[in-house]
Amino acid sequence: MLTRRLNSLPVYKQHIFSLLFSLSCIAAAIIISSACYRIIRENPMIVSLIFTFFLILASCNSVGCFYGIMYSLLSVIWFHFIHDHAIMNLTPTLFDIFITFMCMSAIAVLVNNLTSHLLRQCDLIAESERRLTDAEKEKMRADLFRAISHDLRTPLTGILGNSTAFLENQECLGEEEKRIIVTNIYEDSNWLINMAENLLTMTRIKDDNLSISTRDESVEEVVAEALQKVKKRHPECMIHTQVPGKFLMLPMDAVLIEQVAINLLENALFQSKSTAPVDFIVEDADSEVIFTVRDYGIGIPNDKLNCLFDGIYYANIGAADANKGMGIGLAICKTIITAHHGRLTGTNHAQGAEFTFTLPKTKDKLFAL
Amino acid sequence: MNPKVCILIIEDDKSICSFITAALTGNGYRATSAHTGKEGLNLAASICPDVILLDLGLPDIDGCEVLSRLRRWCSTPIIIISARTREQDKVTALDLGADDYITKPFGTEELMARIRTSLRHSHRTVPHKIYKAGSLEINFEKRMTYVDGEEIHLTQIEYQLLSLLAENSGRVLTYKFIMKTIWGPYVDGNNQILRVNMANIRHKIETNPAQPQYVFTEIGLGYRMRENENA
Repeated sequence: MLTRRLNSLPVYKQHIFSLLFSLSCIAAAIIISSACYRIIRENPMIVSLIFTFFLILASCNSVGCFYGIMYSLLSVIWFHFIHDHAIMNLTPTLFDIFITFMCMSAIAVLVNNLTSHLLRQCDLIAESERRLTDAEKEKMRADLFRAISHDLRTPLTGILGNSTAFLENQECLGEEEKRIIVTNIYEDSNWLINMAENLLTMTRIKDDNLSISTRDESVEEVVAEALQKVKKRHPECMIHTQVPGKFLMLPMDAVLIEQVAINLLENALFQSKSTAPVDFIVEDADSEVIFTVRDYGIGIPNDKLNCLFDGIYYANIGAADANKGMGIGLAICKTIITAHHGRLTGTNHAQGAEFTFTLPKTKDKLFAL
Repeated sequence: MNPKVCILIIEDDKSICSFITAALTGNGYRATSAHTGKEGLNLAASICPDVILLDLGLPDIDGCEVLSRLRRWCSTPIIIISARTREQDKVTALDLGADDYITKPFGTEELMARIRTSLRHSHRTVPHKIYKAGSLEINFEKRMTYVDGEEIHLTQIEYQLLSLLAENSGRVLTYKFIMKTIWGPYVDGNNQILRVNMANIRHKIETNPAQPQYVFTEIGLGYRMRENENA
């Protein structure tokens, strides 16, 4: 809407624009109505309709009702003193002129009021929408913090407990028991390291508007490095990969996308409760590249499908969950993919769960480096 | 293992220092530790270690500064121990003359492997004539590349890239270093041409380019080729 842009200008410019716009409206009305009157039909009805149309247009796009009234005045003057005498052979009385002017002014004021009212409502709606998203962001942050503290407390308790047990009962513990205790500490700290990696990647995203700095990276290389890291951490795991033969470069933050791939792969490996190999498939579509991680296990419980990426899914299962779950991993994946303007979805297929994320090919100028 | 190999650890965190010392001693190395940059520089000059492990975040002098001061007079292999920060820090350290880097947190096994690689590189006097790893073989004299005994056709640039990586196998080569070595000092910062060539090489020598056996990517840094088994 023209008026919306008008409001963002300085006041004197608003008035200059309104004046010019009203004047051009009246000029257009005069030219078009004269043309219509002469060429098409000698019907005064057309003339007054055209004048009314331009009056509404002028009042819509000017500040205050002054310019509408000015338009009415000018058009009345032209209509009755110049145009009518010359062509229509009518002799309007002063009363006629007064009535016409009053009607036109009334239209001008009404239209102007309506427009400004509409604008105010638009602003109100935008404001309440913004507040809603702010509240949502706040909720997301709170959920994330809750999930993080939960996820940190569990392994830390394990480490503290195990090391205390070791220090206090050193004399009466057998070799095998000692080994178990230290192995537990080792596993818990590995898990904490994983967590720290995830949290560190989050610092690469500026949280105000989820902006990231992207660079063209080779898809194959990012996939290869992610796989290599997963293999290094879990040498026994089996992953089938399939990448397009074409050389693909995509704008992305490679470290972040690598983290997403690692999280999804580890999720598939350990949440599926199955040892069947996991599929990692990359497909080249028209405007995006599609990455799919598919496992052949128990799938995602139906009641959790909707809140997979909230970061609270696993936290709700509670400390009883021996495998510690993905923690905030999936929530972080969602944030990263959203920041890349892609989509992340988790669904069930016939034999297990499937996570798919897409990355757009074109660089979005707003978030470019 | 040679018991005389001496390793200097320059690291301010006592707990990390003690666990590295324990691991090194356990593996038959002699370990000396320094907790500040100044102490490290002095020790490096007095004991002439075979390998230096350097932490970038030191209390007195910046790790990169220590690195460039060390490089003024010695060519001892230096392995950077860095907390995971930005890739740029690692690239800077590697371009300043570090031989390798290892990111905290790391396991002792990984650290030992890196130390062995560095030692091999520093002791090598004559360049190898043949690179061999798995079923890949590169003959530097004949300028030929074989996979499973079959000759692979590489373009001039591809061969130069592969042989550069093979000659420095086990070490990370930064994008900048590779670009300068292959395309000359006036090449611009855009390394797309390097990526495309590497992709072509991978498709020619790897069975599955998404799970490479020979050339590994270090995201944001460069490439690393699998250790030469012929060494």
